[in-house]
Amino acid sequence: MKGKYKVIVRNNKLHYEFEIKRNITIIQGDSATGKTTLINMLRQAENLGESSGVDVLSNVPCRILEGVSWKLILQNTAGTIFFIDEENAFINTEEFASEVRGSDNYFVLITRENLYNLPYSVEEIYGLYASGRYQNTKKIYQQMYRIYSDIQEFPIKPELFIVEDSNSGYEFFKAISDEKNLECESAGGKSNIFSKIKNVKNREVCVIADGAAIGPEMNGLYEISHKKKNIHLYLPESFEWIVLKSGLIDDREIRKILETPELFIDSKKYFSWERFFTNLLIEKTKNSYLQYRKSAINKTYLHSKNKEKILNCIEAIQW
Amino acid sequence: MLNIYLGEMKEAIYHPPTYFDNRYEDEWITDPLSVKMIKDVDKSDVVSERLIQSPVLGPISVKEISGGVKTLILMAFDDSGRIFNASACGNNCAKWILEIGKQKELIVNLRHIMDFGDNEFEIKILNKDQIVHNMEEFIDIAVEYV
Repeated sequence: MKGKYKVIVRNNKLHYEFEIKRNITIIQGDSATGKTTLINMLRQAENLGESSGVDVLSNVPCRILEGVSWKLILQNTAGTIFFIDEENAFINTEEFASEVRGSDNYFVLITRENLYNLPYSVEEIYGLYASGRYQNTKKIYQQMYRIYSDIQEFPIKPELFIVEDSNSGYEFFKAISDEKNLECESAGGKSNIFSKIKNVKNREVCVIADGAAIGPEMNGLYEISHKKKNIHLYLPESFEWIVLKSGLIDDREIRKILETPELFIDSKKYFSWERFFTNLLIEKTKNSYLQYRKSAINKTYLHSKNKEKILNCIEAIQW
Repeated sequence: MLNIYLGEMKEAIYHPPTYFDNRYEDEWITDPLSVKMIKDVDKSDVVSERLIQSPVLGPISVKEISGGVKTLILMAFDDSGRIFNASACGNNCAKWILEIGKQKELIVNLRHIMDFGDNEFEIKILNKDQIVHNMEEFIDIAVEYV
């Protein structure tokens, strides 16, 4: 499944409206914001159709996934947005993650738990809020807002970089840091970022991680960066996305894809977007002097002109 | 005192709102503490033990109050000895969990990092048998378990 889908769920008192554009979307946030009510309305519409009094407007079916038969339902459904409420403990299992991987459906999960088995994006973690009355009616207009939209004030001037990656992305930032007399450490994976942060004391630190899959770590990272003002987060989709966006490879198709990645990234093939961007960069640079390898940085990327092009694209950091 | 067990806890009630729907007592709803919590979190008024006035939905039953408040009420009044999953509560419930913890020996399960605010507090983390006093200390431990 690919694409962006507008979903409207409404009755005579509530009007929910939002867009879903990746395979995994998380809804969390404060209590009493209407999450369970949304699920109940969708369930009524699914079970009773028009006679429920609930309108669900979407170009694809919107269904509730719950109960003991969830796996069977999932394995026999395609092209659907599944909404799953927090009472379904299966969302935190490896079994569920393996069904989501390769699924031709999108998933909207209501949970505050960190789902480490799923690679969801920092961009797709939302809360719900009532933004007022809908078009002067008595209906309350419910929208989604990005929970981590105010992560940092940019640009930042760090003394130390902690890079999630241990391969080419890390090697690139390490080379730049050496040149500018800054420190750069690899966390060797997103789950090790916290242990690295613990030892930084008062230094100005910039954590660089793949925004496309950092979602499960965000609860902790956000809280820690809010409490310790010297910890900053820079979360692009991925290092490969930065390279593609920098214009280093002059390619019309790349520009087009980056404008609306959701139209090109098939959930069946890509568990998360950063894997797509890696494949795209590898494919677009194949057999060229810029040939990209994930395992180690191609030294050409560190040549002055190329390097500057990539760095210019990273506006969040003052080098 | 508030005691928190972080991470998966098999014996805890995973979804307290469902437990609440089947086990709550009418008199819990009109207790002054519940009235205050329902007003603060849900912005709703308790009319009687079986009727709540919501600003959005109008008159609703007790079963339609938020999952967060249902969980708070269980923490405050359920005396079955059950431990409830506090991750059914948003950050807007945190001050009430601290408040209930001041009134009784409260044990909850927590599966995410809840924001308990900027003030000092006392929470015992059962996984480590250690008391934390502010969010920095709490986060330092919590990231190991949730």
